[in-house]
Amino acid sequence: MAGRVIVITSGKGGVGKTTTSANIGSALAKNGHSVVLVDTDIGLRNLDLLLGLENRIVYTLVDVVEERCKLKQALVKDKKNPNLCLLAAAQTRDKSSVSAEQLKKITEKLKKDFDYILVDCPAGIEQGFQTAIAGASEAIVVTTPEMSAVRDADRIIGLLEAAEGIESYKLLINRVRPNLIKANDMMSVDDVVNILSCQPIGIIPEDTGIITSTNRGEPIVNNEKSLAGKAYINVARRIVGEDVPFLDIDEPKDIIGKIKKFFGGLKKQGKE
Amino acid sequence: MEQFDDNVYVIDLGEINTAPEIIFELSSVLDKDEAKNKRICLKLGNVDLNQAQLLSIKSLINSIDSTLSSIETKSVETEKTALSLGIIISNISEQNAVDISPTMTYKTAEELKEELQAQENNSAENENSYDIIEENETDVIEEVTNENIQNEVLKEVSSEAETQEENNDAGYDNNSNGQTFVPQPPSDNTDEVQDELDVIFGSSLTKNSFFDTEATKPLYEEKEELEDITVPEHEYTKEDIELETFPTKYIKQTIRSGQVINYEGNIVIIGDCHPGCEITALGDITVWGVLSGIAHAGAGGNQKARVRALKMNAIQLRIAGCYSRRPDSLNTVFIEKTNSFTPEEARIVNGEIVVFKIND
Repeated sequence: MAGRVIVITSGKGGVGKTTTSANIGSALAKNGHSVVLVDTDIGLRNLDLLLGLENRIVYTLVDVVEERCKLKQALVKDKKNPNLCLLAAAQTRDKSSVSAEQLKKITEKLKKDFDYILVDCPAGIEQGFQTAIAGASEAIVVTTPEMSAVRDADRIIGLLEAAEGIESYKLLINRVRPNLIKANDMMSVDDVVNILSCQPIGIIPEDTGIITSTNRGEPIVNNEKSLAGKAYINVARRIVGEDVPFLDIDEPKDIIGKIKKFFGGLKKQGKE
Repeated sequence: MEQFDDNVYVIDLGEINTAPEIIFELSSVLDKDEAKNKRICLKLGNVDLNQAQLLSIKSLINSIDSTLSSIETKSVETEKTALSLGIIISNISEQNAVDISPTMTYKTAEELKEELQAQENNSAENENSYDIIEENETDVIEEVTNENIQNEVLKEVSSEAETQEENNDAGYDNNSNGQTFVPQPPSDNTDEVQDELDVIFGSSLTKNSFFDTEATKPLYEEKEELEDITVPEHEYTKEDIELETFPTKYIKQTIRSGQVINYEGNIVIIGDCHPGCEITALGDITVWGVLSGIAHAGAGGNQKARVRALKMNAIQLRIAGCYSRRPDSLNTVFIEKTNSFTPEEARIVNGEIVVFKIND
């Protein structure tokens, strides 16, 4: 069975593309699928940091493209999960080092060996974006409930619709703060879905644990207590095709208590 | 190379015709102690140098606490660039300088022994070494060079733990007999030359008839850009690599993520090397700061190459064909830039890279 190539993109920077890639990849691998993460953010790579694989990278995507090594040599296996591999971007080069055709060739090769190929897309709509989506047939558009991120996501969806090869795209709404939505200070999930007229594949609550996990180089899905981790695991299950209800980040009292604890300080500020 | 007084040092590169060779030659000459803390007069031949090249020469000289005081050149191009940079053009008479090209010759160990013996005999016969120089200047310098190489070879045999010598080029051992390098100025025009130099390097710059320009200040401060690093076009033989006869590049800046430094020689970085940078050298890498990037020493296959840093935090260390990575247990997201450094050195022991504390 040929693998599925999914590009994770957003347009705007800082909304959580790389975090999403690392966590969905880890979650899929945890469930027994073979996954390869391809970092196409050449020159500003971060995916290796999030997975804690920074010190193991010898060959990169650019080395593969320029035929200094074989594709298999460049794949870095995850520390904990042997199903998960990383194809890192070069830090010392720029986006022009890899062309769309070259990446397409690489994803075609990877398809034979892996169930899922997740492509972490750089911010922007320039060459890097065009390269990243070249080999993909599906897309996940990451956005946050902010006007600027939603605008950029809208632009990206337009480009994805125009692009050849992208058969379907889904929305992932990241960094949702239920208490801010309640206070009408933040766009709700429904607002975002209505504006973009695109079905969400996941709703991820804001979680301070993300910062810790990024610094430690360990995806948050490995932390079973984390709400964001659970949400990412659900996204991974939906990608596989399971019908999983959305995690209700509002209703259960224990969870809202947790979130209140997270954002209690902000709420007080809002009232003043 | 000839010394007129304590502060002036003339380097003759008149027979070298390409810019990389000039920089290569210069860096080997500048490794000597005699060249430090001096004002340097540079004699150039027909070679055309552009601004970047002249600036890198200047910064090379500045890196050993010397200053480039004047340049003599036959090329109009070089003269123009020198003028635009505010470097003084002078005319030093040819007899005052000695060709340095013999210093580049390398001999086999047996030849060295023979010559060393011959030299010992010579020095026994002639107590005053200056006489020899006046008779046959180039030969003496060649002999001195060979003696130095011999010294280094002997040292390597006697103590492998010696680390400090590695940064010195073979021809310029600090412990060499400095006496033969300090010939007396030619007697016939000593006063005249002294006068000239007084004028050149003294305060009364404008009165000097040797200058084509009155410019005394550089138009802009030279700053070493990464692009300007010139790799000498010199093919290193196996022997060179074994003897570690590399030039040394000094870089005084912070190396940030994504920056790459390649040099066919030793690299000394005065500053930190941030994660995501890559430093590759044929010889040693020394970082006067925190080394957090990837360092590859002995890229030509030199197993003796070493990596040193005030704080060793490298993501990966590579020496010759060996590779090692930072242990995962080391949580280095937040590098402590404390006052206390623990200088460390990485070298190959039994085919593995081992990091030693330098104090031990």
